[in-house]
Amino acid sequence: MAQQPIAPTNEPVGSTHGDNVSDYNIVNSFETGYRFATVGGSIDQYRATVNYDDGVRLLSSFLTVNSKDGHGKYFDEIVLTTLGLGNDPYQNATLRIQKNRLYRLDMQWRLNDYFNPGLRTGGQMGQHLLDTSYTMQDDDFTLFPQSNVRFFLGYSRANQNGPALSSIQLFSTQGNQFPIFQNVRRVYNEYRLGNEVRYRGIRFNWMHGWWDFKEDSGFSSGLNAGNNPQSPVTLTNFTRIEPIHGTSPYWRGNLFAERKHFAVNGRITYNAGQRAFALNENAVGNAAIGFMTAQQILTEGNASRPITAGNLLLSLFPSSKLTITNETTVNNIRIDGNSVYSVFNNATETLNYLAFEFLGVRTIANETTLNYQLRPWLSMFGGYQYSDRQIRSNEASIFDGNVFVSPSQQTNILHEGQFGVRVRPMKPLSILLDGSIGRANRPLTPIAERNYQILGARVHYKVKPFVLSASTREVYNVNSVTLSSYASHARTHSVNGTWTPREWFSLDAGYTKLHLNTAGGIDFFAMGQFLTGQQSLYISNLHVGTLTAHFDLHKRADFFIGYSHTQDTGDGRATAAGPGIGSTLPAFQAAQTFPVRYLSPMARLSIPITEKVRWNVGYQYYGYNELFLNGENFRANTGYTSMLWSF
Amino acid sequence: MGSNVCRACHPDIWAYFYKNPHFKSIASGKEPPDHTGCEGCHGPGLEHIRAGGGKATIIAFSELAPNNILNACLRCHAESVSRANIRRSSHTLSDVVCTNCHSIHKSPVPKFLLAARQIDLCYGCHNDVRAQFSLTFKHRVNEGFMVCTDCHNPHGAPPPTWRMAARPRMVDQVFANEEACLKCHAEKRGPFLYEHEPVRVDGCETCHYPHGSTNSRLLRRPVVFTLCLECHNGVDSFGRHNNGILTVTPTHNLASPIYQNCTTCHVRVHGSNADALFMR
Repeated sequence: MAQQPIAPTNEPVGSTHGDNVSDYNIVNSFETGYRFATVGGSIDQYRATVNYDDGVRLLSSFLTVNSKDGHGKYFDEIVLTTLGLGNDPYQNATLRIQKNRLYRLDMQWRLNDYFNPGLRTGGQMGQHLLDTSYTMQDDDFTLFPQSNVRFFLGYSRANQNGPALSSIQLFSTQGNQFPIFQNVRRVYNEYRLGNEVRYRGIRFNWMHGWWDFKEDSGFSSGLNAGNNPQSPVTLTNFTRIEPIHGTSPYWRGNLFAERKHFAVNGRITYNAGQRAFALNENAVGNAAIGFMTAQQILTEGNASRPITAGNLLLSLFPSSKLTITNETTVNNIRIDGNSVYSVFNNATETLNYLAFEFLGVRTIANETTLNYQLRPWLSMFGGYQYSDRQIRSNEASIFDGNVFVSPSQQTNILHEGQFGVRVRPMKPLSILLDGSIGRANRPLTPIAERNYQILGARVHYKVKPFVLSASTREVYNVNSVTLSSYASHARTHSVNGTWTPREWFSLDAGYTKLHLNTAGGIDFFAMGQFLTGQQSLYISNLHVGTLTAHFDLHKRADFFIGYSHTQDTGDGRATAAGPGIGSTLPAFQAAQTFPVRYLSPMARLSIPITEKVRWNVGYQYYGYNELFLNGENFRANTGYTSMLWSF
Repeated sequence: MGSNVCRACHPDIWAYFYKNPHFKSIASGKEPPDHTGCEGCHGPGLEHIRAGGGKATIIAFSELAPNNILNACLRCHAESVSRANIRRSSHTLSDVVCTNCHSIHKSPVPKFLLAARQIDLCYGCHNDVRAQFSLTFKHRVNEGFMVCTDCHNPHGAPPPTWRMAARPRMVDQVFANEEACLKCHAEKRGPFLYEHEPVRVDGCETCHYPHGSTNSRLLRRPVVFTLCLECHNGVDSFGRHNNGILTVTPTHNLASPIYQNCTTCHVRVHGSNADALFMR
């Protein structure tokens, strides 16, 4: 069971099967109440992590209307659900209306008040604050949903608005960095049109969409001393306008055919991503002591990223116990564009730079998987995949009349095998053992997968009143090359159990250990020296436990308690400095582990007043504590009281 | 036999079957007998009636092997975009088939006949993912803003257009063929003139944990500079030119805090239209 925030209330109210009104059946419930929160410590961290606030809310609502004979005049089903409406930071509303054989309309609206105060690391602050409201909606309409010929219409929209802080470096590469204000204004609209036709057992489905993105966030700053007080570089005034318009018409076509012994699925997609942009930036300040500088940067251009992707999946079922699938995939991404970059600076000469960029990624892959049931209690699967990815790049530019061209090409080939065994020694018990092994010859980055193994096991046991599941997974990756090494080892061990011995009592407990250990070679400059042979070490040792219990007290009250405990014990060190391995710089040693504790107990009481009315009250505590730094620690007391009713 | 015969012994199932999506096939009256009503899924019921009931005389899904459950449901539900990859999906290969997540007769939720709320279904097996969503920074799934299927297709997704087209196998694609993250994070979608190559080639997970993290912005490291330097180390054979990914220049004194937050200057790390070094 997921441990959610304390509100809304999970307990049901009213008749499960609802009430009959005319030819329809109606089920409904509404929960209205007051949520409260008091926070001590870092409110910024609280808002980034939890963000619940005081106020009256429609915490949740639920409504279904179903026609009893499937022949309603205008509709056969309405489903309406809402969550957090009023002023919660996370709000959600869905609506479905459908009439059998004629239409189906699905609508969803969501809001997320996202706050990030520029948290960068444990206790430290960055300068990229974001306090925006993000709303999105998805609407899909299907005409003749049960017919051999269907039509689809869709519309999605999202917008993000709010204040933010960004930063910029100006006038000199060794100059100063300045926090600047940003007014975030982004919106996208997506329109979809599609159709599906079924003829002689072959179904063809196509969709055409138009995605349109606009951003005109503005940036500005007044008198600004910058981050570096020792630097003579200061800013007097800064403005930037940067309108962007992106559009992506896309197509998708699918073909399906399924017969007794085989099935064929083909898919072809094309997405013509395009973007036009312009930038006008003006800055006035001191580039050095006594050197007032006025600088204007103009950029304009466009970029495109057409993506063509197709795959053909052939499935064979020579017997009821054997399935063989073979999938061939071709992906082709071509990113190119150009821009004119001009700098007008009263301290240096005017600079004009014309850039052309191309980055192409072509991947061809083929995978065969075999899934076989050896015995009723024993089955296995195995597969092999071959992938060939070619990356081509061409960076070209014209600067001061000189042409610079820098083409390149590389190919990465992956061989991956996977295998698994499933055992069901008795009906309630299932065991899965699986693994993958992969070998790539030229990954793009030093942290990408090169020589990797994944080993996993999963056990599931279900017999009333118990449900017990456990899993373990180990992921090894070694990407070492001459003179540098990279290795990572991720371990996940998890166990979860649910016990429902009585109708009035249930218990759910879970524990997960997420362990990550990486070592990567790094080279960098520090204090005028180029330091090589250093290592970036990182150890994360997360323990996550959850416990929930539910009591139904003689039908007179429901009592729910829950506890969630998250703790990264790191590598066990007592101080941030660590033992001094990996790197000679203290900053690197301090970044090798990040012990932190985050816990949240909760309790809720729900009392039925009548069959159709409940009164609820709940409390939830949040405690956040970083071991080495305490600037972001917080504790929060949150809760709510509400009425849940059905009518 | 027809469904009306079945209701005599199974009135509890029939009483509210009109709320079941499968009732549409009965209401329409136009479906062939093997695609509608009780016998559409459970097979001919005559022997079952003559025997006075029993699971041996009819197709009882609780007694079927997983692949037979899958085949039974796919008789009607195979030819769909969302289920095009179901036979090669991780769930199918793990014997997680339709009835593991869907309850045809006792679904407590109003959509998709799910056996429980989606979040509880997924967490029931993916306890490690539940743990990730319990961390401090996470996508707001527990809070109800999102659901797992915003990013994942539990029936199996087509091969990804990022990484090596091998894994992930269950992450859905948006706008026909792009990574699911870009559905919401539209400003990072581009296209940009100067792309940060790992974003397009290996995907967002290169730097971010998509479910949850103890690090701000779901980053894989608590500080930015180690995250960047693990790739930007100049080691030969990596990068688009095969000669190493650009390492920091001598002007960067990593001993100084000023240079330890790379994104203060390189603000457009996801891609830029103006600057190859992502400075604006």
